[in-house]
Amino acid sequence: MQPFALEQGRDIADTIRRGRMPGTDYIAGGTDLVQLLKDDVRRPRRLVDLEGLDLDQITVTPQGLRLGAMTRMSEVADHPAVIRDYPVISQALLASAAPQIRNLGTIGGNLLQRTRCTYFRDTASPCNKRSPGTGCAAIEGVHRTHAIFGGSRQCIATHASDLAVALVALDAVVHLSGPNGARDVRLTELHLMPNDHPDIETVLHPGELILAVSVPAGAWTRRSSYLKVRDRASFEFALTSAAVALDIQDGKIRAARVAAGGVGTKPWRLPAVEQALVGAPATTATWQRGGRLATAGAMPLRDNRFKVRLLRATVTRALEQVGGEA
Amino acid sequence: MPDSAARLGFMLNGQMVEVGSAPIARLSAVLRDELGLTGTKVGCDAGDCGACTVLLDGEPVCSCLIAVGQVRGRTVTSIEGLPDASPSAASLQAAFLKHGAAQCGICTPGMLSAAAALLDRQAAPSEARVMDAIGGVLCRCTGYRKIVDAILDVGGGPSCAVDASPLAGRAVGARIERLDGRRKVDGSEIFGADAVPGDALSVRAIRSPHHRARFHFGDIDGFVRRHPGIARVFTADDIPGDNCFGVIGPFADQPVFAVGEARFRGEAVALVAGDAAVLAALDPADFPVTWEELPPLIEMDDALAETAPRLHDGRPGNILTRGRVARGDLDVGFAAAAVVVEGLFETGFVEHAYIEPEAGFARRVGDRIEIQACTQAPYMDRDDIARILGLPALAVRIIPTAVGGGFGSKLDLSIQPFIALAAWHLGRPARMVYSRTESIMTTTKRHPARMRVRIGADQDGRLTAMDFAGDFNTGAYASWGPTVANRVPVHASGPYFIPAYRATTRAVHTNLVPAGAFRGFGVPQAAIAQEQLFDELADRLGIDRLDFRLRNVLTVGVPTVTGQVFDAGVGIRACLEALRPRRDAARAEVRAFNAAQTGSLRRGIGFAGMWYGCGNTSLPNPSTMRVGLRADGRIILHQGAVDIGQGSNTVIPQICADALGAPLDLFDFVSGDTDLTPDCGKTSASRQTFVSGKAAYLAGQALRRAILREANAGEDATLTFADGGVTVEERGHRRALPLKELTPDARGYVLAAEATFDPPTSPLDENGQGEPYAVFGYGAHLAEIEVDLALGTVKVLKLTAAHDVGRAINPTLLEGQIEGGAAQGLGLALMEEFFPGRGENLHDYLIPTVGDMPPVTSILIEDAAPIGPFGAKGIGEQALIPTAPAILNAIYDATGARIRRAPATPDRVRAAIRALEIREVKTRDDTHA
Ligand SMILES: Cc1cc2nc3c(=O)[nH]c(=O)nc-3n(C[C@H](O)[C@H](O)[C@H](O)COP(=O)(O)OP(=O)(O)OC[C@H]3O[C@@H](n4cnc5c(N)ncnc54)[C@H](O)[C@@H]3O)c2cc1C
Ligand code: SF4
Ligand code: FES
Ligand code: FES
Repeated sequence: MQPFALEQGRDIADTIRRGRMPGTDYIAGGTDLVQLLKDDVRRPRRLVDLEGLDLDQITVTPQGLRLGAMTRMSEVADHPAVIRDYPVISQALLASAAPQIRNLGTIGGNLLQRTRCTYFRDTASPCNKRSPGTGCAAIEGVHRTHAIFGGSRQCIATHASDLAVALVALDAVVHLSGPNGARDVRLTELHLMPNDHPDIETVLHPGELILAVSVPAGAWTRRSSYLKVRDRASFEFALTSAAVALDIQDGKIRAARVAAGGVGTKPWRLPAVEQALVGAPATTATWQRGGRLATAGAMPLRDNRFKVRLLRATVTRALEQVGGEA
Repeated sequence: MPDSAARLGFMLNGQMVEVGSAPIARLSAVLRDELGLTGTKVGCDAGDCGACTVLLDGEPVCSCLIAVGQVRGRTVTSIEGLPDASPSAASLQAAFLKHGAAQCGICTPGMLSAAAALLDRQAAPSEARVMDAIGGVLCRCTGYRKIVDAILDVGGGPSCAVDASPLAGRAVGARIERLDGRRKVDGSEIFGADAVPGDALSVRAIRSPHHRARFHFGDIDGFVRRHPGIARVFTADDIPGDNCFGVIGPFADQPVFAVGEARFRGEAVALVAGDAAVLAALDPADFPVTWEELPPLIEMDDALAETAPRLHDGRPGNILTRGRVARGDLDVGFAAAAVVVEGLFETGFVEHAYIEPEAGFARRVGDRIEIQACTQAPYMDRDDIARILGLPALAVRIIPTAVGGGFGSKLDLSIQPFIALAAWHLGRPARMVYSRTESIMTTTKRHPARMRVRIGADQDGRLTAMDFAGDFNTGAYASWGPTVANRVPVHASGPYFIPAYRATTRAVHTNLVPAGAFRGFGVPQAAIAQEQLFDELADRLGIDRLDFRLRNVLTVGVPTVTGQVFDAGVGIRACLEALRPRRDAARAEVRAFNAAQTGSLRRGIGFAGMWYGCGNTSLPNPSTMRVGLRADGRIILHQGAVDIGQGSNTVIPQICADALGAPLDLFDFVSGDTDLTPDCGKTSASRQTFVSGKAAYLAGQALRRAILREANAGEDATLTFADGGVTVEERGHRRALPLKELTPDARGYVLAAEATFDPPTSPLDENGQGEPYAVFGYGAHLAEIEVDLALGTVKVLKLTAAHDVGRAINPTLLEGQIEGGAAQGLGLALMEEFFPGRGENLHDYLIPTVGDMPPVTSILIEDAAPIGPFGAKGIGEQALIPTAPAILNAIYDATGARIRRAPATPDRVRAAIRALEIREVKTRDDTHA
């Protein structure tokens, strides 16, 4: 671990002023960052603490849900309105990490957590994401847990967040503030594909801060759920997962939101599945068709080929759970 | 740069504290190192284990993931302050003791903190809530159920039986609380990393980053000069004695520091000693060593190839050793078979994953060296350290700390040679705490196995022949490889009579981390093959799977595969029969469930039997116990058997108390210290209750005889220990023994006795025939599971475990061993596999969490072994063996798919089911065509 300072801004503007300085990282709950510091994966000279910036409100309005970037994962998961109106969000959070981590981890930090690719976290291995140009140890090495969507020849690491999968399904928007002012970015556009620059993971500018995430209300959010498949019952990242939200009227699907986790280099929305669902009857055959379409374009490698079938089964099952068997 | 002048304040356990650590220092480190509150444990330093859980503003958090700067002005509660801060803490501590929810105790502070936060908010939580609350705290010992029960108990749930301080003669069989339990629940227990002399230096090993590499040192003196705070660097040249250690003398081959070539990734080549902070900040890449990577032997086939380079001289073919047991004529046996089944079964490396990484310190006292560290084998440590330092054995003192889980791996040396060497040369105490990565990367593993097995049975379902050939990847050094190679052939038959039998094994060297001892020494792997094939045989013959086993079980008078015949204490039939009621009920439930299923869930049941010899295989393994009576009437037991959580600190006193006839609460203990306690051997091979327990029994009896002699009384006299004295009553005459008038010996005992027990065995001949063990333990598990056919996920719903323990000395502790063993068996079956060089942490290496563990019903069978203390046998390893094959059999029962490669991860299960589906479609198409 490098020696460095831990600072606090007076307010958001001051925080951003500090945050834009080269060699500076923000720290929220610290659950990912402290680990990366210990493992020498990140070597910032200064940290700016986001605690105390009043970014921890949960607001529910008829227009939708707004989660301050500093709200703790556990608070959101246990919030009655979230459980009632946006169950997929609560479920995705409860399926994440463990209580002692959810009590610290924040919404903003969760969206920006780094990949769990072991080579990325082991400084002795080549890794283009950590040290651009050194190569990708995973492509030749063990990549059972890696991505089947969105990989490049440079990197095939998955985005590890469960929450992001739920939020991306629900058309979430991220509210940012940075040295050049405020802007809103759709969550689908926050993360970048690795392409030739796996080290650049988001569209955030230096010093740009996530203030909050908004989820627009919709007829589908109440009928939503998150399904996560993993190697053990709890406290483990997804092999595959699916976030599903459906609006069904009179046995017919009026709107569908579907995204997948554990499979993409970024939170992976499945528009082809959604299109096929809209207008279709809420039947087992439809769910199966949805599942089949989930893996169109998948590019598995030697060890993660199983994820193709597993994802189909996961999406089918999640659709079935939300839509019911008719 | 850190502003060191600014001290950082927060509320800790009800008091404002100010710390000088850098704000980025982890809270866990600040609590332990700066504030001396070592009740907060560090198991992984990565958020993966929850051992470091403390309360922050009342909420449980991982203190290893928080920078102390983040808690400025907030409220932190650690285990030391929990009883004051949490209204439920005291009752939780009591419940943990009562239920036996703390075994080794390393996870206990974290568990209690997480549980207290829950109960403080919700007085009567549901089981699901409880499981969620402790879902992020790993426990490797208990299998979690007793922890869940303890928490539910405090929340108004059912209590459990507990026997308060039993009367004289009533200790054996009593459910008494662990005698060393209090310090485990209040955070005061001292584990390897918890005691550090103030002036201690730290040491850090320089390790090979490659599986195999030649290496050359550069300018080491220059390196030391350039790094203020580094005291010295040690290499093989600095070892005063032999640069060699190993648990089995004739095979000892492991160097403290590799010379010229490193044989596995993580092997140490040098040691740096210096200030802790300087070492922590040291980038190993700065160390002057150059590596020349060589092509490693990873797979056993590569190592066995004729052209393969040899890891060790004198071990041709890279074969460390072979094992063999043969009996009867295989050709005749297979010819008599109506059905023959066979299969190739494989398992991977399995990591012990105790929550406490190896830790301790050494100090030089004149011309002696003292090592205080966590270990399972103090006397073996002593002898090996003496050899390394070139000292007589008596110049080495080993003081075992509490052990935060061992399961076999802490039988081998780890940190000890490093700290001993540094302390010896530098004359200052030296400490070392392995990081989780270092612990997983360099300490022993369960052997990966590849077993080709053929078994035949006749039309009546009687076994006729079995042929077993197993290769075990033993890694770069011998460790316990010879034991695995020898134990497996003796046990691979399972507890069954097989007239024609051949089992051969090879322990094969590769350039991987050494495989060594892990609960069961290869027997769990063999049982995976044998018990699955038994199900296949039964099915092929159309015989009920349980009846098939019962037709073949060993009984009194029937020879084992080594020709050994027992005239008592063969409890396997009783174990299997004990499963029958639940098996029948479960089978009916499963059928009903599956019949009602339209989706992709299927349930199944499976079971498996096992046996396990207690103690060393055909080798002496004595234990000695000393017990003394002081003038004030207190009784002191010198108990050198290391308690690694399994409970020997409680069970052995229970045995001794009843043998002597004194109440347990008159006892005090001198435990494991090679200067103070006689040799009790190692805590392995399920031998402590049986062997050390028997020594304690004999010592207790001997002291009783000594007292009687002193009183001139006969054997039938009654002794009463009370009110600081001993009263002897014979034929109506009572008289108090004048203890105060007797002359105490050098240890302060007015009367004392010592006794040794070495279980009788006989050597095995070239066909492995003989009497390898004086006692076998037996058992059988029933697993009820649910498989999701589409996802390949397996959920274990219930386990029923019947074990013949001879005599249940302490049923609560036995259940704890069974549940904990079953949890490790479940891990072996479903999720655990270590890939050397990959995922050396507790996140990529998965062990079961509370959510993975089903309720376990333990059934204790007492088919006494006449030679054991009060008839008792061992349990330590037994409990793990049948779980994995039972689960794998249940997967087949549910799906029709056989998993021959453990663990049965979702992808493997799904692939096996898929293969079946394809075959079915093909057969359908073929029949239609
Ligand atoms: C053992 C373990 C298991 C886990 N399992 C799961 C799991 O199953 N599923 C899952 O989804 N996650 C899992 N996680 C990840 C966990 O959820 C994240 O670590 C957590 O959400 C990160 O939040 P934080 O506030 O602690 O972020 P920090 O560690 O403080 O920050 C993470 C990153 O985000 C940046 N950042 C944080 N907030 C902001 C902001 N407002 N604006 C700009 N940048 C910001 C930081 O600079 C840093 O780069 C696990 C973590 C651990 C340690
Ligand atoms: S997959 Fe990406 S993160 Fe992993 S080693 Fe390759 S480049 Fe690095
Ligand atoms: S030590 Fe903190 S979670 Fe393991
Ligand atoms: S008692 Fe839980 S890890 Fe040992």
